[in-house]
Order: sequence, then structure tokens, then C-alpha cells
Amino acid sequence: MTEPELVRVDRLGVAVGGRTLVDGVSLRVRPGRVTALVGPSGSGKTTTALALLGVYPDGARVTGTVTGGMPGTGRPGAPGPGAVRVGHVPQHPATVLNPARRVGVLLRDLARVHGGGPEAVRRALKDAELTDVEGVLSRYPHQLSGGQQQRVVLAQALLTGARVIVADEPTTGQDPGTAARVAALFGRLVARGTGLLLLSHDLRTVRELADEVVVLEAGRTVRTGPPADVLPAAEEPAPSAPSRSGRPEPGPVRLSVTGLTARHPGGAAVLHDVGLTLRAGECLALVGRSGSGKTTLGRCLAGLHPRHDGSVRLDGEPLPRSVRRRGRRGLSAVQYVFQDARSTFADHRPVLDQVARAAVRLRGRSPSEAADEARTLLAALGLDPAKASRPPAGLSGGELQRAALARALVVDPAVLVCDEITSGLDTDTRTAILARLAERRDRTGLALLFISHDLAAVGALADAVVTMAEGRLVTGPPARATECQTPGLTSPA
Amino acid sequence: MRKYAFGTALIAVPLLIALAGPLVAGEPGPRAVSFTAGGGHWLGTDFTGRDVWRQVLLGGRSVVLVAIAATVLAYALALPLALAAALTGRAWWEEVLLRPLDVLIAVPSLLLVLLVATALEPGPGGLALLVGVAAVPDVARVVHAAAVEAAARPVVEALRLHGESWWRIAFDQVTRTIRRTVAADAGTRLVGALYLVATAAFLGVGVQPDAADWAVMVDRNRPGLFLQPWAVVVPALLVAGLSTGTNLLFDAALHRAGGKEVRR
Repeated sequence: MTEPELVRVDRLGVAVGGRTLVDGVSLRVRPGRVTALVGPSGSGKTTTALALLGVYPDGARVTGTVTGGMPGTGRPGAPGPGAVRVGHVPQHPATVLNPARRVGVLLRDLARVHGGGPEAVRRALKDAELTDVEGVLSRYPHQLSGGQQQRVVLAQALLTGARVIVADEPTTGQDPGTAARVAALFGRLVARGTGLLLLSHDLRTVRELADEVVVLEAGRTVRTGPPADVLPAAEEPAPSAPSRSGRPEPGPVRLSVTGLTARHPGGAAVLHDVGLTLRAGECLALVGRSGSGKTTLGRCLAGLHPRHDGSVRLDGEPLPRSVRRRGRRGLSAVQYVFQDARSTFADHRPVLDQVARAAVRLRGRSPSEAADEARTLLAALGLDPAKASRPPAGLSGGELQRAALARALVVDPAVLVCDEITSGLDTDTRTAILARLAERRDRTGLALLFISHDLAAVGALADAVVTMAEGRLVTGPPARATECQTPGLTSPA
Repeated sequence: MRKYAFGTALIAVPLLIALAGPLVAGEPGPRAVSFTAGGGHWLGTDFTGRDVWRQVLLGGRSVVLVAIAATVLAYALALPLALAAALTGRAWWEEVLLRPLDVLIAVPSLLLVLLVATALEPGPGGLALLVGVAAVPDVARVVHAAAVEAAARPVVEALRLHGESWWRIAFDQVTRTIRRTVAADAGTRLVGALYLVATAAFLGVGVQPDAADWAVMVDRNRPGLFLQPWAVVVPALLVAGLSTGTNLLFDAALHRAGGKEVRR
């Protein structure tokens, strides 16, 4: 380890209002090398990484030093002497793109500020390996796919002359093929001399890219070293599948869907004649590429996408198309867990209250009974109820994802649609959540529709797998899915 | 607390004068020449030769109360209407609620106020009602436009999925999301209401044209602006202080409420 350091963080401590977020974390970022920060959600990864950008939470008390990072609280301008520019690719790249300007304008403005012209933009786009450049430049950020947004943000970082890139969960929630392409992109970027700080739950990507790994837990460093030494053995076993034997046989048909055709407001059909049945105590996994219509199907079942034809029946009774026309019973019968948990919580109320509120409204519980049930359920999902008494801003993405699941389970649904609920979770939490879902399914006959890219989770939980392609169901698992369940290709979340 | 200081200082003076002014104004003195300075009138005299300072002391209460009552009334009517339209999700029901307002929007509010006020000759209460109702279509459009976006967010979908009541979705969630837009709009509405009352008074409707009223003073004393500016400048500054201060206070309060959203 004799290469010069671009950024060094020494004994960084960040505390907000007496609560310690990060406690004595040290790390180095070197040119052409990858340093990875791993750890459970809420362990302080993002707080540590933002310190490189000079960004701290409001009212934070900061100790320790960051040498070479960006100056002061996100002030724009040239880094001080000895400092390098740090670029940031956040987990949800859309949040840092100005939604009101076309991508081409965004990039050209940025290039001008940093003394570059059109050729600088072209070079940055080439380095970020963006295809269909002309198409992308003329669109607004919301018209791009998540992967394209990520590359545009990366191109922005490169345009500013960043020599260190902080990438927060760049492969989360992507199918294995896409994740591998993203990992390869960052690999090539590093090979050209950029220093990378990678924050990830995706241990496969970490193993592939990282030169040094810092493992955090509750804000402290627990291990540091090369990936082979500090990460669990190369292929952790997928959470062991509870075999069908010993489990109750699937019950009667709960949910039956026939001839479901859904449209977007513009009129373009997104689902074509989809049909499926779901029995009590059964888990059906729905896989397929991004944009194939998986989420739309889940939203149709939950009543969140009323523009559809065909029938959705629960226990033989037709369910109203829209959530507005489903009564208390219809609502509690079919619940849906959103992919982006944070956006489903109101930011001015404690998370615990919001979870409990669902039981008050749909099961007629008194507020105190509901709060007790919510606390028990959150604890069972591995979320400290004391933490859940904070508003959503005080919880990490993974913690909110568990709270969102608790909010759906607390109403005791007959059918639960889970949309990508394991992305953004560390392995232990994911295992705990899957076990909890399996237990619910076997004990209360919960019927699960499990939408996921996470093929290890699918393998652990699902009785059957169906694939969706271009709005149609293809029965049986896809060739790629089967392949991916062989040990060498299993994707740990 | 420091961020509230400037806004508070700005509205304190007009509010104090408006509420306490009539108590200390005293008896009217003899009339002097129009638009003179000095002669015992430390802010000079107005267009009918009355003491400007005394008019300022007397002229706040009606303006402030009418404008505030009208603005509150406009929101009390427009907010539920706009939220009902934004949250219904049925296009025809949205049309039924909002289309009639579009017809009202086509009629200038001054014309509306003049027509009704000429026919009915309302007092200050009636004028507040009239000005408030005239603002409903505009307010409803702004609130509706903001609420449609707020009502389409996943958090509202989640609340519906968990059987939350319409009231709580509308007032606790959607209204809270759009509160900045609403607050900014309310500030401009207040000023709009002030000057609508003043313009109507200028045309002889509602308030008497020579009434002690800040807005009326600005209007009626304009011809003498270059002879004796205080009769226009002082009431105009008081109105501006009131509206700017209100906006600043709203901003400061909302900034604190939203401060936590910034960091994740």
C-alpha cells in the first residue's frame, strides 16, 4: 500500500443530537483502487461517504479529519490545496438531476462551469459508457431509465474533473445481468486511475471490485482488509429453502386473475391478457427484466392501477378495480409493499404511528393495541421499536423497507404483493425477513406474490416462478433464472 | 428565533397601528389646505386637508380586518373544493367541481365586486364576503394544480391502501405537502384583497371614497404625490410591511418544519 492517497478519513465521528451515527471510522481512497464500505443498513455507510463531499447531517457534531475531500458543507468551488474533487452517484440518481432541464443542457452547463466544451461532454459520456447519446441528450431526466440516469450522474461527476467517485448502492435492485454490466463499468473507470468508494450490500460486486473492504456495524469499523479476508466465504449459501415437505399443503384458491389487460393513461397497453391463480399458503415469484410489467401487475391486484380490463377475484368474489372502491375488507385482504419504501411514509409522523395506524383503520384496533402489535411485528422483523419512533428521516432505506412490510402485515392480509422488498437489505436482514414471510405463509395461509430480481430470495421462498416479458406471462422460470440459481451465479443481495 | 425577528418587526408596526390606532387618534382638528407639509401636521395633510397621521391611525383597522377576513374566507371555501377535485380520481366529477369556477374566472373580480356591491350596498362584513368569494376561483385553481401532483404520490397511495380517511389524506397529507405553495399564494392574495377593496372604494363602492383607510389613502392622495408624498408613502409602506412580513413569517415557519427533509 504505497500508492499516494487521494482522500484519507481519520477517526471520523458524526453525532446528531446525542445520537452517534459514525464513531471512529478511518479509510483511504487511492487512485486506481476500490475501497468498499459494507454493513447492515443504518450502520453509517452513507454518512461516512458524504463526509468525503463535505456534507453532514443538519446540526451534526463532527470529530476526526477528512483530508483531501471536498471543503465545507457542500460549498461549490475549487477544492483547497491538496484536495481533489469528489463525485457522487447516489442510490437514487434521479434525485440529483434537475428535472426541468434536458440532459444535454445540464451537461453542457456543467462543462462550461468547469472550463470544458462539447468535446468534454462527449468524453464524459463515453467514459460513462452511455449508449444512444443523441437520444439521451435530448430527453428530460424522468424520461430516462434508472440505469441511464445513473450513467448521466456519473458523466456529471466526470465532467467536474472528479478523481474520486462515491457510488452508493450502484447495483441494488437490478437484475444480475445489469448488475454485472454496472460493476464492469466501474471496474474500467478505476482502471483509468479514478479512486472509487463503493457502498454496497451486493457482496458479489464488492468481491469482484474492491481492493480494500471496511465493514461497519452501528457506526463502528468492525473489520478492515482485502475482501477475501473480511467477507464471508465466496458463496454464502442461499437462505435454506424450507422444503415443501413438513409444510401444510396449499389451501383453496384465494386470488384468481383472468384476462387482465392494463393500459397507461396514453392508451398503450402494458399488460396483455395475464392470468394467474394464487392459493392460500402459496408463494408465487414473478421475475423478469425491468420494464416488463411486473410492478403494473402488482399494482392492478392492489387496486392502484385501475385502468385495466379483465377480472381479479378474491375467494371467488370480484374485487373492485380501484382501491377507492374497496371497502375495509377488500383493502385488508390484498396488501402491497412498495419498492421505494421511503416515498410511502409521510415525513412528519413517527414511523411506528404510521404502521400502527393501518391496524387502527383496517382492523378496528384501538390506538394502543395497534401500537403494541406494530412494536411486536417490527421487533420480529429486526427493527428496534425505539428507532421506529422517529420520523422516516431518522431511518435508513433498509429499515424503512422493513417498516413498510410491517405496515402491510399488521392488517393481516390474505394476499400480499411484495415489490422488490429485498433490494437494499443486507444479507442477515434479508434472511430474517424471508423467514418471517415464510412463517406467515405457513401459519396463517398468507398467499404471496413475490416480485423480485433477487433470485436467491426467490429460490428460498417461492413454490413456483413465472416470468414476465413485455407484458405477458411466460409460465415457468426463465432460462436465465435457472442458470442463476446454480451456485456460481447466485446473486447475494 | 432570529429568523422570525425581521418578519415580526415588519408586521408589528402596521398591526399595532391598525389595532391600537383608533384608540389614540383623538378628535379631528380643523381642516387645513390640501397637500401641505408642516403647520403642526408632521406627516402633512391629505387631499381634503385632513391630518395624515390621524388618518393613518384610523385607516388600518378596516383594511386589515376586511383583507384578512376575505383571504381566510377564500381559502375556507377554495381549499376543500380543490382538494375534493384533486383527490376524486374521476374526471367527470373534477369537471363538475371546477368548470363552473372557470366561468367565474372569466369575469374580472372588480366587475363582480362593483355589480354586487352596487345592487346590495354591503357594509364591511359584506365587502369581505364579496372579495373573498371573488378570489375563490383563482385560489381553487392554484391549490388544485398543486394538490393533483401531491395526491399522485406513493405516500397517498399507501394511505389509501391502508384505509385512511378522506379528511386525513386531504388535510393532513396533501395540504401539508403543498403548504409552501399555499402560503406563497396566501401572501399575494392578501395584498390582492387589500387593493381590490381600495379600487372598489375609489369607484365609490364599499368603503366611502374619503374614508380613513390605508388603501383608499394611497389611491386618493396620488394626485398630490409630488407636493406631499407622505400621504401616499406611509400607508403604502404599512401595507407593504404587512404583506411582506406575513410572507417572511410563513417562510420562516415552513423552513423550520421542512428542515429535516433535507438530509436522509
